[in-house]
Amino acid sequence: MRHCLTTILLIILCVTCTADEKLDFAADVVPILQEHCLRCHSSNNRKGDVSLETVNDLRDGDYLVAGKPEESHLIELIAGVDDEPPEMPKEGKPLSKEQVDVIRQWIEGGADWPEDLVVREKSRADESWWSLQPLTPPEDGRTIDTYIDAVLKREKLQRNPHASRAELIRRATYDLTGLPPTPEEVEQFVNSDDPEAWPKLIDRLLESPHYGERWGRHWLDVVRFGESNGFERNVIYKDAWPFRDYVIRSINEDKPFNTFIREHLAGDVFGKDDPQVAVGTVFLVAGPYDDVGNQDPVQKAQIRANTIDEMIRASGEAFLGLTIGCSRCHDHKFDPIRQEDYYSFYATFSGVSHGSAPLVTPQQRDERNAALTPLEKQLSELQTQQKQLSDAIVGRGQNRLAEHQAVWTRPAVDPTGTEDTFDPVAAKFVRLVCEAQDTNPASRSGFGIGEFEVWSAGDNSRNVALASNGGKASGDARIIEDFPGAYGPQLAIDGRTGARFIARGSDLTIELAEVTSINRVFFFSSGKEETRRFRFVAEYRIEVSTDGMSWHTVTSSADRKPIAGDQFQRHRLLLREATSKEQTQLRDLKRKIAAVKATISKVPTLPTAWIGKRSADDAKGPFYIFEGGSPQKKGREVVPASLSALQNQGAGYRLEAAAAESVRRQALADWIVHPTNPLTPRVLANRLWHYHFGTGIVDTPSDLGYMGGRPTHPALLDYLARRLLDHGWKLKPLHREIMLSRTYQQSSANRPEAAKADADARLLWRFPPRRLSAEEIRDTLLDVAGLLTHRGAKAKGPVPDGGPGFRLYRFMQDNVCTYAPLDKHGPETYRRAVYHQNARASVVDLMTDFDQPDCTFSAPRRAETTTPLQALTMLNHSFTMDVSVALAKRLEKESGPTVRKQIQRACQLCYGRAATLEELKSCEEYATKHGMPSLCRVLLNTSELIYVR
Amino acid sequence: MTDTNAVIRRQFLGHVATAPAGIGLMHLLAGESARAEDENAPKADWSPGMGKTHHAPKAKRVLQIFCPGAASHMDLWEHKPSLEKHHGKPLPGEGEFFSFQGKNGNLMRSPWDFVPCGESGKRITSMLPGMAQHVDDIAFFHAMHSKSNTHGPGCIFMNSGHPLEGFPSAGAWTSYALGSLNENLPAYVAITDLRGEPPNGKANWSNGFLPARHQAIMMSDQKQIRNLQRPDSIGEAEERDARSLLNQLNQKYAAANPGESDLRARIAAYELGGRMQLSAPEVSELSRESAATHKLYGTQDENRLKAAYARNCLLARRLLERDVRYVSLYCASRASGVDGLLNWDAHKTLKADYERHCPIFDQPTAALLSDLKQSGLLKDTLVLWATEFGRMPTHQDGTAGRDHNPDGFTCWMMGAGVKGGVSYGATDEFGRRAEVNPTTVWDFYATVLHLLGFDHERLTWYHNGLDRRLTDVHGNVISEVLA
Repeated sequence: MRHCLTTILLIILCVTCTADEKLDFAADVVPILQEHCLRCHSSNNRKGDVSLETVNDLRDGDYLVAGKPEESHLIELIAGVDDEPPEMPKEGKPLSKEQVDVIRQWIEGGADWPEDLVVREKSRADESWWSLQPLTPPEDGRTIDTYIDAVLKREKLQRNPHASRAELIRRATYDLTGLPPTPEEVEQFVNSDDPEAWPKLIDRLLESPHYGERWGRHWLDVVRFGESNGFERNVIYKDAWPFRDYVIRSINEDKPFNTFIREHLAGDVFGKDDPQVAVGTVFLVAGPYDDVGNQDPVQKAQIRANTIDEMIRASGEAFLGLTIGCSRCHDHKFDPIRQEDYYSFYATFSGVSHGSAPLVTPQQRDERNAALTPLEKQLSELQTQQKQLSDAIVGRGQNRLAEHQAVWTRPAVDPTGTEDTFDPVAAKFVRLVCEAQDTNPASRSGFGIGEFEVWSAGDNSRNVALASNGGKASGDARIIEDFPGAYGPQLAIDGRTGARFIARGSDLTIELAEVTSINRVFFFSSGKEETRRFRFVAEYRIEVSTDGMSWHTVTSSADRKPIAGDQFQRHRLLLREATSKEQTQLRDLKRKIAAVKATISKVPTLPTAWIGKRSADDAKGPFYIFEGGSPQKKGREVVPASLSALQNQGAGYRLEAAAAESVRRQALADWIVHPTNPLTPRVLANRLWHYHFGTGIVDTPSDLGYMGGRPTHPALLDYLARRLLDHGWKLKPLHREIMLSRTYQQSSANRPEAAKADADARLLWRFPPRRLSAEEIRDTLLDVAGLLTHRGAKAKGPVPDGGPGFRLYRFMQDNVCTYAPLDKHGPETYRRAVYHQNARASVVDLMTDFDQPDCTFSAPRRAETTTPLQALTMLNHSFTMDVSVALAKRLEKESGPTVRKQIQRACQLCYGRAATLEELKSCEEYATKHGMPSLCRVLLNTSELIYVR
Repeated sequence: MTDTNAVIRRQFLGHVATAPAGIGLMHLLAGESARAEDENAPKADWSPGMGKTHHAPKAKRVLQIFCPGAASHMDLWEHKPSLEKHHGKPLPGEGEFFSFQGKNGNLMRSPWDFVPCGESGKRITSMLPGMAQHVDDIAFFHAMHSKSNTHGPGCIFMNSGHPLEGFPSAGAWTSYALGSLNENLPAYVAITDLRGEPPNGKANWSNGFLPARHQAIMMSDQKQIRNLQRPDSIGEAEERDARSLLNQLNQKYAAANPGESDLRARIAAYELGGRMQLSAPEVSELSRESAATHKLYGTQDENRLKAAYARNCLLARRLLERDVRYVSLYCASRASGVDGLLNWDAHKTLKADYERHCPIFDQPTAALLSDLKQSGLLKDTLVLWATEFGRMPTHQDGTAGRDHNPDGFTCWMMGAGVKGGVSYGATDEFGRRAEVNPTTVWDFYATVLHLLGFDHERLTWYHNGLDRRLTDVHGNVISEVLA
């Protein structure tokens, strides 16, 4: 479909003024408005209730008197009165005399404003911006090195000589797998006389399943993959991990990226019954979103808009390298992205919301249904029998209701105060036992007790349960892990209302200071003055004991009226009316029902994944732009469409408002990877370069717009983008080509004179050394100690260690979730960090210290900082100690008892090189004094371990 | 600290301090990161993290006291006589209206009287007798309003100027802008409450997209900084030897790779870590304070929540006097299953809830402020009091509590450069909406940054397409509160 531009979008209209042939409104007046007025006077920012996008406000506000500039208030505002400085523009320079004259002339000529002409503020960059242009055609005979060398030569710089083989294998192995080479691999490569050793090494690494783990991690950064929803509740996404496995698998299989991207946006459409494809759409909902819920309709609409905004930003930045999100409230200030573009995307994603859904083949679904159907039938038969029997019993009871009621002489329990008196009895222990809870007679727990009072018999009766009188309370209570005692039993005897015991079991026991004669109890869930009602007991008994072993009941609710509600009367009648035979039958049925339910629960549930939900209703148009970003201010109507700035690149589309939700996402996906869209391959090629060299040709990999960086090597970028297309969007051939270049293979040595000209080596006069990422550091520690599971030969298949992730934090939930980093990392955590279940806004020691980004936003590049906290964590966390012990054991096992040999082996494992004599001496001295694990702790803290040159 | 410890400390310092003591290390770290910061920081007349400012600052450090859960403006700080007069009548002009938790009932007066305080005679609730002593020093912002009516986004909006996650908090911006004043302690500390983290947890003191060293270090009287102590299995002499060997190996590697500033920075980081190991535990030694001080704060109170908060107040003062740049001190925590239990979120039982929370807050906070004033620290310490939004003047349908109100609430500041006894702005007659001089979170922080010596529009960091600011694209300095 072709994008047909409607006239109102056009700024540059060739309209000629009728009164004065010389004045061209579009060419003469519009630029003045754009430059000096629109920033504060547009439909989104209507300062003084004036927008200069159309003539309406000027006319309605009497700013213009057509044909009479001297009577027009507008001229007073921009020219000033009586030599006073002009009032407008409020910010910035006043209009020049020539500009004021143009406006004057225009008013003189009748102040005509062509109908339908909407003046829009211009972005800094327009459609001619470099990244929006078609890829430049290939030039013969050029290679990566010729592009790099040409620029170096221009800047009078030179490439470094070749790196050593030891450096190269360490560099390439970390680059492609995120792990160190083994000493054996290093030895073999360093000593090889095969001229093809380097390409062969690259091929081997590209075929390693660790490649997908490493480059999958990069992609997970880009698509802001995280496994909790952030915001206030920050609940874990239990089943988002299949997406992580999908990414690793796809990358290991070198799935063409155009397919990969299409699956991210519309995998559920392209691969309807194929879980391996549909799982790609986890991408849409892998970001944070606010799920607290809101009864305020204005806020609710805003939250929904924020949720869709998150998807728009994530898609625009990951695939197109454009900050589309910046045009939510107004046209993009810098890039040629219109507010309409943003809301076209909004319409595209409007049917998507967050959540889990079964991710299955039709066959899996059928199998489960086949297994469940007979069981469900059985269950429903049993439940019918149960109902019939209890109906019969209750029916009999109803017939004798008067007889029953005669026994119910006392009022029903009252959650704000229930009192029982009884004959004085000696008690050391008093126990409240719940027999039915007041929101569900089948439950015996979950009730609250604000206070439980036990009163002594005789004169000067006092509440002997009070803690201040020596009482002690016990009972299984609801727990908040990080705030112990929040609902504890002590709250029932503290003499204060407001906070209460909340039962997880069925009873609350008070131990009195001494054996006391008591004759009254009084208890409640909420005090009379509290308006909030908490759950309470509906049926109970009170038991006492002098020794805490033998108990007897002193009173119960049996002689009270049942609380309001049929189910409670029914519950009471069932208890009192059933014969012993019927009671046996009921128990029997209950047991059978439980058994069937247990069998049902054992039928494997359908696997689910966090792929989100789709709603045709939510996707129902028409859609509008939200002026100023507010859903309460609907502006012009929009339809799902491609970006207007690329409309001349051939593949643009514009859908009917009624197009199905799935069709919209499909169209967007197809457009993003259309061969004529220059952005996607550029962005992708740049990302590849960025990860190989530490900085991209454009150093803002998710922003190829005006605010982003400029390419250091534009022609090379286009060359790489074309190569990517030539390779059918496959990454592995491009990796190979990049790594075979001399540019990649050069040494990382620093040369002061070159550094003076180009300190960051953006022009690549050297290979830029780097510190390992947080994941690589943790993986390396585990790997050199031999602790890493699924490593080397044990790493099989495209996802060596997939499945649910591990956690380096304790997850606690009490309505909202809290994440507390672990002090001890068990062996179940000895997996590669890519399998960690990264929660948002959590802080996880080593990972956070070494710049693992919070996955709230896409992280197109990682920071590389050095902080004292890194030192503290690496020296003191028990993880380092555990790894040190394991490494020491490994050294002894592999090198025998001689300390010197162990140290030599340690250097090979940690640094991929032989130990120097000096190192041997100082390390041996240390190890002899403090032991090998202690030496390992030192080695694991060395800089050399975590830097790659 | 005992004498033995002091000796060990001296020995240790003597050992690790290969660089001239007290200078240079943090700057070396800052220099190392300058590469990233050159790219993302504005190309301007100011360089981040070196203590330089745009103009002469009034405040050198900030104490932020945060009461999460939306502490009610009309029950604590802003007196609304009309609520008393019209108690039980419908709120004029709103009809039947719905807010966060649903339908609202009629107007509800505050359960407590408002009493005149200080020389200004400004009225605040009788529930805060301690705070009443400080009213003459406070500049109240009574017409704050927020973008969100939900605790999580509200809290991070109040802390970072954005209702979405992932943005740096004001403390992180301060650390980025000014850097550290004390190399032996973190620049930014978040002190959480015994009851847990506030809504949205660690996002409230996040570094966002700023480098990791600008995030707050979490500590409290109840929880020491993580990974601060050397493992039990490592002896003292062993630790000394280990650091010596490590230093030797790292120096060698740095020497073999000349010109790599980050290798030198890493050596400096280990030295700084060592110093922090000695300084941070000393800060937490509240036992070094006099009995009178403990009594003033209420650290021994029988209410364990109050005692815990009091100890955190005392810890805050000890951090500030050791020149930590930004201390965020929390009084209360998140939303639990029971509204208003763990924080100021009094939906259903305002009276009972605040009779629990006010006594925890009042005496320790008042003591902290008196202490700062008396010691002279308040002269260059800016104190902020904040909450995420306010509460409705009506009661929530069927309850005796109030629902969320993002349209009007109170924050305040005092100390360095702030005019005391000022009430800037006001909500309407009933407290429903900011009416006189409505003030945004951005205005609030524009003022804070101004007092710290910064033009908020020029303190920026490039991130995903924009030069980001604490004040987004808004904010005006409120000159009415400046001394």
